[in-house]
Amino acid sequence: MNFLNFETRLFVYMGMFGSGKTELAINTAIELRKHSSHVALVDIDVISPYFRSRDERDFLKTKGIEVIAPPGVLSHADLPIITAQMGGYISNPNYFTVADVGGNEDGATVLGSVKQFLDSTDKTVFFVVNTLRPFSTTIDEIAKNVQKLSEMGKVKIDYLVCNTNIGVETSNEDIQKGEEIVGKVSEYLEIPVAFTAVKNEINYSGKFPIFRLKRYLVNLW
Amino acid sequence: MKMLFKGTEAIAEAAIRAGCRLYFGYPITPQSELTEYMSRRLPEVNGTFLQAESEVATVNMMYGASCTGRRVMTSTSSPGFSLMMEGISYMAGAQLPAVFVNVVRGGPGLGDIQPAQSDYFQATKGGGHGDYRMIVLAPHTIQEAVDLMNLAFDLADKYRMLVTILADGMLGQMMEPVEFHEMRDLRDMPQKEWALTGASDHKPRKVTSFDIDPYELEKMNLRYQATYKKVEENEVRYEEINTKDADIIVAAYGTMARIVKTTIRMAKEEGIKVGLFRPITLWPFPYKRLNELADTVKNVLTVEMSYGQMLEDVKLGVNGKANTPFYGRSAGVVPTPTEVLEAIKKIMVGDLNGR
Repeated sequence: MNFLNFETRLFVYMGMFGSGKTELAINTAIELRKHSSHVALVDIDVISPYFRSRDERDFLKTKGIEVIAPPGVLSHADLPIITAQMGGYISNPNYFTVADVGGNEDGATVLGSVKQFLDSTDKTVFFVVNTLRPFSTTIDEIAKNVQKLSEMGKVKIDYLVCNTNIGVETSNEDIQKGEEIVGKVSEYLEIPVAFTAVKNEINYSGKFPIFRLKRYLVNLW
Repeated sequence: MKMLFKGTEAIAEAAIRAGCRLYFGYPITPQSELTEYMSRRLPEVNGTFLQAESEVATVNMMYGASCTGRRVMTSTSSPGFSLMMEGISYMAGAQLPAVFVNVVRGGPGLGDIQPAQSDYFQATKGGGHGDYRMIVLAPHTIQEAVDLMNLAFDLADKYRMLVTILADGMLGQMMEPVEFHEMRDLRDMPQKEWALTGASDHKPRKVTSFDIDPYELEKMNLRYQATYKKVEENEVRYEEINTKDADIIVAAYGTMARIVKTTIRMAKEEGIKVGLFRPITLWPFPYKRLNELADTVKNVLTVEMSYGQMLEDVKLGVNGKANTPFYGRSAGVVPTPTEVLEAIKKIMVGDLNGR
C-alpha cells in the first residue's frame, strides 16, 4: 500500500470504539516513514484507557516516528488531555502526520476542538470499520455510525477502511464477508473504500486494495 | 459466529443473554464500557438501564430490584466496589441474589487505572460487615467470562446469594474472539417463592437482614451458614494443567493464570515441568484438591498481581505439606511470563542443580 497515492500529508483515522484505529495508525506511520524522515503520530484518543498509541511511544521512537501525546506521567492519567503541540504537527507542511482519534461519538468530538487546524490542512479522513464488532455488523448500523461521527467531529469522511477481523482467529471468509458489507455501505453513502486491512500472516486478495498489517499492540503472553 | 469483543462488552452481552434486564451502575475506568454497552443494549431488549448518582445508590437500587425476583447486576472497579460494601452486606443478609462485576484496578485508595488483583481479600473474605459469603468467580479469558455469566446468575438464584465476577483491567480492556450462548427465554427463569411481587394472591412476604431478637437473628445466621456449606460442597471449580508429575505447581487465577500458561511453555523448553492450578471459584476455594496436589510437589508457588492475598488460601489448602513461596507485582504492574519463569528457577535452584 503506497500512502503517497492519497496525495495528502495528514491521515486521520476515525471509527467506532475498538475498530482497530490505533493498529492502523501505527502501521500507517511506519509505512510513511519509508518515504519521509518527518513522520508524527498524534494520539488524540481520549477514550481508551489501555492499548493506545502512546503506549508504543518508545518503540516508535526507535523507528524514527514522533508520538505526540500527553507528556510523562500524564499519559497514564484518566483525563481527556489534548497536548498543545498537536495543532503544530497537524498544520506543519514538512510533516506526514497520522492522527489516531478515539472511538465513538465522544472520541470524535475531540476533532471539533482542533477544527481550525484541520481546516487549514490538506487532510484525508478514513473511517475504520470492523464488521465483527458489536453495533457495526449491518449496513444500516455502519452507515449511521459514519454519519454520526462525521457530524460530531465536524469532518467529511473521505474513505472507508475495511478492517474486519476477530484477532488471531480471523479467516479469509470473515474478511470477504466484511468487504461485502463495507462495499454496500460505500455504495449507499457514496464514500469510496481506501483499502482492506489484513494481518501479515493472512493470504487474502479481494475486491479492495490490501494493506498488510503487523500487529504491534500485543498481549503480555 | 465469533465476534471481536472487549471483555467488558462481552460480560454485558452475556449477562443480557443470561436473562438480566435490570442494570444499575456508575462509570469507572477500566470498566466504563460495560456500563456504556448496557446503556445502549438494554433498551433494545426492553430492559432498564439506570445510571445512579453513585455506587452507594447503585447497590441500594440493586437491593430493591432484586426483591422483585428479577435478575439484576452491576459492574464497577475497585474504589466503586468499596463504596458498595454496606449494601452488599445488607443484600447478603436479606439473601438477595444478584451479580456484581469488579474489574479490578491498582490500589489501595484512588490507585491507578491499570490491571490488578488486589481486591481478592475484599471479594472472598467479606469486605462488608457480618458473617456473610459471596460466590466469587474468576475468568481468565473473555470466552470464559462469557460462559461464567450464565452460571453466575444461576448460582445466585439457586442459593439466594451474591455472586461476584472478579476480573482485572486486562481482562476488561483486551479484545478476543467470542461466541455467545443463545438468549435465555425469560419465561424459563426460576420462580422465586420469596419475591415481593404483590400480595393479592398470597400472604405478605418480607425480605430483610434485620431481627432485633438475637436468638432469631442467630437462626437467620445459621440458615446462611447452611447455605454456604452447601455451596462449599457443590460448587468448587478449578482447572489443572500439567499437574501430573510436575516439578513445581504454580497457583494463579485470572490474567495471572493466562501469563503462567505461557511460562509453562517457556519452562518446558528448558526442561522444567511446571503445573498450573487455577481456581475458578475463589470462594469457595478449592482447598481439598490443592491439598491432594501438595503431596506430589516440594513447592506450590503462588503468583498474583497483588502482594500475597490468594497466598493465604493456598497455604490453608497446602496445609504444610509443601513449601509455599510467593511472587507478585501490584499497583497495575503485571508480571511477565519471563519474570514468573525466573521466580520458578530461583525456587528450584537446589532441585535443578541436583539433576
